[in-house]
Amino acid sequence: MAVFNIKNREIECKIVYYGPGRSGKTTNLEYIFKTYKKQVADQMVTIDTEGDRTLFFDFLPMGLGKIKGCDVKVQLYTVPGQVQYSSTRKLVLKGADGIVFVADSFTIRREKNMLSLKDLDQNLKECGLNIFKIPLILQYNKRDAGGSIPIMSIEMMQNDLNKQLKVPYFPASALTGEGVGGTLKECMKLTLVHLQKEFKWAQ
Amino acid sequence: MGIKEQIKTVLREAEIYRTQGLFNEAMVKFKYASELIEKNVKPENGRHLVNGITKKVELLKQTISKYNDPEKPPEMPVEIQNLIREKFSFSTDKESAALDGAIALTKFGQFERAIKEFKELLKMESFRLVAAKNILRCYFASSTSSSSAAEGAVFQYKEWLTLGLFTPGQLEKIRFFLENLLREKGIESGLPAAKEEKAAIKMEVAAKKAPDKAMPAIKPLIEIPGSGEEEEEFLDVSSVGIILETGEKKNPEIILDVSFQSGNMVCLIVPVREKLLIESMKAGLRLNNVQFYSPIAILNGSGVVAAFTKISSGPKMGNYSLDLKMFTN
Ligand SMILES: Nc1nc2c(ncn2[C@@H]2O[C@H](COP(=O)(O)OP(=O)(O)O)[C@@H](O)[C@H]2O)c(=O)[nH]1
Ligand SMILES: [Mg+2]
Repeated sequence: MAVFNIKNREIECKIVYYGPGRSGKTTNLEYIFKTYKKQVADQMVTIDTEGDRTLFFDFLPMGLGKIKGCDVKVQLYTVPGQVQYSSTRKLVLKGADGIVFVADSFTIRREKNMLSLKDLDQNLKECGLNIFKIPLILQYNKRDAGGSIPIMSIEMMQNDLNKQLKVPYFPASALTGEGVGGTLKECMKLTLVHLQKEFKWAQ
Repeated sequence: MGIKEQIKTVLREAEIYRTQGLFNEAMVKFKYASELIEKNVKPENGRHLVNGITKKVELLKQTISKYNDPEKPPEMPVEIQNLIREKFSFSTDKESAALDGAIALTKFGQFERAIKEFKELLKMESFRLVAAKNILRCYFASSTSSSSAAEGAVFQYKEWLTLGLFTPGQLEKIRFFLENLLREKGIESGLPAAKEEKAAIKMEVAAKKAPDKAMPAIKPLIEIPGSGEEEEEFLDVSSVGIILETGEKKNPEIILDVSFQSGNMVCLIVPVREKLLIESMKAGLRLNNVQFYSPIAILNGSGVVAAFTKISSGPKMGNYSLDLKMFTN
């Protein structure tokens, strides 16, 4: 759904943070908002009601400046994770150019991660997209919590989620910021490479 | 680890899950901690602890039921509504994009604003009917009581009767649509028609032409326009009959109620007594023998299980929720 304006040499793309409820999608965007102030184009819009009944979504527009002679803009979204908000989740996913799947490292959320990834696969299909083709990054979030509660090993999460996909992955802590920038940058990179095939935007 | 340590660890875990908003997980841990205490700690020492935990569990239950409450989402500030309208309309021509935007607003529960947008769309011949139906549906979705919804919708319909904006045929379709909305709420109404005798004939035609967009919609919140994404185009289904294929034995048809529909996806409630069905369901499973019941037509088809989960809270707790993608033959 990226928009490429040839005249102004401007490309605008959409990246969606997907994942089970409470995995840390909003926290990712909050960290990006705080840390990359210069690139943030406007206010972050967080539409959480009552703490977090994320029926809605978060929205963060960014301008990454000139890349290969082209002005690159990106809009970050999060989806409502709760199972029952399937129809709004699909609406937010529509037109995504790249996806960050934020998985929860808590052992107790193991199954929820897998179900959410399945849900992503399904919803992408319904949008006419293919999980094996769309730029996708896995983020294993909440690595900082290991001291106080059971978390899964990276190997286990790789085995659960990335065995077939074989996409880049990042251990992260959205709370401390570890891995957050890396995740986004890698996703941007894949997305722009992907869009190059379509638009030939780079000079 | 001694038992004391173990209890402490479980309680600490429960607290963390609670602060992370993982309420169901917290609940399970708190209950486990109570069990551990009751089994291993002398009552005079343990009672105090267990009481404390019981209070926490009660609070959690309240929080969980609040989260699951299908309470209407709040009306958002205009800027956010504008954002929704702008960002979630994908059509390239301006008019269709406006319709997309209005529909997106309804999906996010912004009904008052959506009504405004749909009223703008009434000005355009090609969207008039779909906009009118959506307006009526918004009345029902946004009202807290079905009687006030009905009042608003009927008032609106009567106004349209006098406006000369719609053709008699369109008015008839709208009336038919509204009567069905009302019937769903248990309200039988004799709505005035545009022209009495023509009406009867038109209704018959409408009834025979299923599936048709003039058909009464049962569950979905919004009316999907004729053009655009075909994935959303599906008749409105009130219940689904499934015949399981297990070995040579012929299984009876299991009829399930639709709790929600969006396009060709339906969410079905599976009562816990349907053991055979529950055992065989899993995401990705294809069901080859499925009947879709709508108020007018029964269609044969197949379905693919998109999700199958146990309902863990709310009034339907213990039953299962089955998301099914529908395909007609
Ligand atoms: N310990 C820890 N907690 C996190 C991390 N990321 C998010 N959280 C917490 O997890 C909860 C849910 O996070 P949120 O971003 O709202 O999740 P979302 O539903 O995916 O948007 C909040 O209480 C966050 O503080 C993390 O990296 N480490
Ligand atoms: Mg969130």
